Amino acid sequence: MEKRRKVNDVLMFMATLLLAVIFFFPIFFNLMSAFKTNPEIMRDAIALPKSLNIESFKYLLTETEFPAAMLNSLLLTVLSVVFMVLIIPMAGYAIERHNRTWTRVIFTFYLAGMMIPFQAYMIPLFKELKMFGLYGNLAGPIVVYVAGSVGFGCLLYTSFLKGVPREIEESAEIDGCTRFGTFWRIVFPLLGPCTASMIVLQGLGIWNDFLMPMLVLPSGQPKTMIVEIFYYVGEFSSRWDMIFAGTTMSIIPILIIFLFLQKYFVKGLASGAIKG
Amino acid sequence: MVVQQQHNDPAKAIAMPAVKKKRKKWQWYALLFILPSFILYTLFVIVPTLSSVYLSFTSWDGISTEVRYIGLSNFEEIIQSERVHNALRNTIIITVALVILENLAALVLAVLVDQVRWFRNMFRSIFYFPVLLSGIVMGFIWTIILNYNFGVFNQLLIMVGLESWMKDWLGDPNYALLSIILSTVWKSAGYYMIIYLAGLQSVPGDLTEAAGIDGANRWQQFRHITFPLLAGAMTVCMVLSMIAALKIFDQIAVMTDGGPGFATETLTYIIYKVGFGEMRQGFGTAMALVLFLLILIVTIIQVKFFRKREVQL
Repeated sequence: MEKRRKVNDVLMFMATLLLAVIFFFPIFFNLMSAFKTNPEIMRDAIALPKSLNIESFKYLLTETEFPAAMLNSLLLTVLSVVFMVLIIPMAGYAIERHNRTWTRVIFTFYLAGMMIPFQAYMIPLFKELKMFGLYGNLAGPIVVYVAGSVGFGCLLYTSFLKGVPREIEESAEIDGCTRFGTFWRIVFPLLGPCTASMIVLQGLGIWNDFLMPMLVLPSGQPKTMIVEIFYYVGEFSSRWDMIFAGTTMSIIPILIIFLFLQKYFVKGLASGAIKG
Repeated sequence: MVVQQQHNDPAKAIAMPAVKKKRKKWQWYALLFILPSFILYTLFVIVPTLSSVYLSFTSWDGISTEVRYIGLSNFEEIIQSERVHNALRNTIIITVALVILENLAALVLAVLVDQVRWFRNMFRSIFYFPVLLSGIVMGFIWTIILNYNFGVFNQLLIMVGLESWMKDWLGDPNYALLSIILSTVWKSAGYYMIIYLAGLQSVPGDLTEAAGIDGANRWQQFRHITFPLLAGAMTVCMVLSMIAALKIFDQIAVMTDGGPGFATETLTYIIYKVGFGEMRQGFGTAMALVLFLLILIVTIIQVKFFRKREVQL
């Protein structure tokens, strides 16, 4: 019995390992190809790079507009997330703690938005952004990202707030703190894990987004990393090494953040999904 | 998605004048707290959605100031157009295939990660990695892997002596859709795995143990105890994977551009092509509304259907 159990464990480990190799291979292939020269990729796609060739990175960073696109990606992601943190936790807090009919109606109104696909409103959205003067600059996508994450964000915060005791806020208020002060000084710090989850999940989505920056940012100028990569696939169809260098530069920051903040990816996902 | 809230406020019952005043004040603060998100959300989600409804009855081109009302013509065209039928068929194939395959893969991965004795966290991370990639990046990687001449996949087939199986995976209309489906399973399975894993870990160990003592083997334990208790996670995963599949876009844009011919054109892809390529935004919004209704109806049916078989502990 003991022996059979051990055999089982080993078999299961081998099966998992095999699947892990298959799952990891495309990512490994990408990282590896970024350090190969183009002829090397064409000649033998599976072979390891002969030497660490960083020419494609150099070319991408000096000869193309990729650095500007990287900056755009970074600005878009950081600014959108900052505005989300300024606006959404507050709303979630008011909805959860001031439990009245009107706040419940607003909550349902927000959640309904989670069902609307972006494609369903993107065409009039661009017209509207033009009207507000938000078309053709970074402000446009930022506003849309923040608006689009209200439903998910409020769901995340209200479910998290249910587990935060009210006593602390109440005593702060008795001590003369305003609601506004109580929220930012007392409650908001307690919501740290929830905020972290929202930041990593929404930040990832914005960093990786394609359709909106492609359509909203001005043409003829560098847009975001992902959009540039998409254009390169069409334009530099024979410079795979360069495109692989680009995709690598878009993956590395995500991998690093994921390795450090793994639990927030998992937690936000599980709580956002299970409670829904 | 329905969220139930409790609303029994003990303080309300013993409201004194001072407390009452404070409550009133709180109401204004609550309004202030909600207002920014409300304005943004209404202005940039709800208003454009409603404008979509209006524009779907027009022949607007997206540029001119003239918006001409043409009644139901757009919807008539949707019903009659061969191209839309083809896209609908592709969307349905992709959605059904992805919902089944992604959930199956996710369930297998979750069980393996839950049961494996060594390197559990490492395995979990590896299976989750592809979720972190953009559809564009993932699409490019697979475009190269599946390339006819230089791709890894065909190279592997040669190595194991299956040269006759070699295909132009993305250039052959018979295989392009399949290639997109399978590479999307690779990308998304890890996401649903996390949700199933959370479900698996909430199944109390003494239940399966008791069944084991009663003589149930491991498969029977899984089939009759663990699996029914996963129904909640399954509802969530089924609905989420279905919505995601109906909206599939990025990987198609980079892998096939809807081709070869119209072999991989989906509803979302038509909306984009028609609205921004052919400048027929009135027709594009009509398509978008059809997609929205499709998502709405299928979600409601699915939630109703799956909630029934959920088991409470």
